[in-house]
Amino acid sequence: MAPDHLSTTLAALSDPTRRAILARLTAGQATVTELAAPFAMSLPAVSRHLKVLEHAGLITRRREAQWRPCRIKAGPLKDVADWVAHYRRFWTESLDRLDDYLRDVQKKEKNHGYRKPHGK
Amino acid sequence: MATGSLMANEEQELVLTRVFDAPRELVFNAWTDPKQVEQWWGPRGFTNPVCDLDVRPGGAIRIHMRAPDGTVYPMTGVYNEVVEPERLVFTSAALDADGNPMFEVLTTVIFAEQGSKTKQILRARVIKTTAQAAPYIAGMEQGWTQSLERLAEFLAKT
Repeated sequence: MAPDHLSTTLAALSDPTRRAILARLTAGQATVTELAAPFAMSLPAVSRHLKVLEHAGLITRRREAQWRPCRIKAGPLKDVADWVAHYRRFWTESLDRLDDYLRDVQKKEKNHGYRKPHGK
Repeated sequence: MATGSLMANEEQELVLTRVFDAPRELVFNAWTDPKQVEQWWGPRGFTNPVCDLDVRPGGAIRIHMRAPDGTVYPMTGVYNEVVEPERLVFTSAALDADGNPMFEVLTTVIFAEQGSKTKQILRARVIKTTAQAAPYIAGMEQGWTQSLERLAEFLAKT
């Protein structure tokens, strides 16, 4: 795995055409011609996008079949999705915990304050 | 569709506002005392075996967050601004398995007094330092997170 594997994935995902291609592939495998159909784009231009996606490990293309259908590959996408979910969860839950922590600290201070007059 | 995306608005920022029922000094201390930070930093069930904070402009942040399954997520950062008790600005980078920064996030935390309570506004946005990151930033402007959410939904089904 390349050290900056996630950046490669994100770079590949940064283009709207490539995202549209991936979205199309979530519905099942497709040939270059099929993928090019919705776009006002030449087949070589679409092929270039496919190369980027392939390089990032986001799709695979079957070598044996002449029409070389493309398939989406879940691994790298899962890395990104995991990170996105992780980051959102990180702050939401950290701040929940901070809230609890602040409550606890103040409760302890208060209890301590009340206990003092009765102590020695 | 999940509520909100990673970057909540056009400025590609995650903005989280909270009101804590605690005086501002207490909240600020909870952010700047390592002993306190390690008690709340990270999702529920996570611990922080390493929590080194050199709280001053240019000072380093080093936190190793450990998930309940034992996975350690190392994070390094640096404080850009420390204005007690109202403002903290820091840059942090999540590190990959080889210790290389994957990308950097600039976080600004503002603490405002609201009677006896404290209103905290946290803004986080991805800034990028490596060359590979430029297309990533451009992509965010186009709202790729929505696509990711759709893809994540797809992945959840596979």
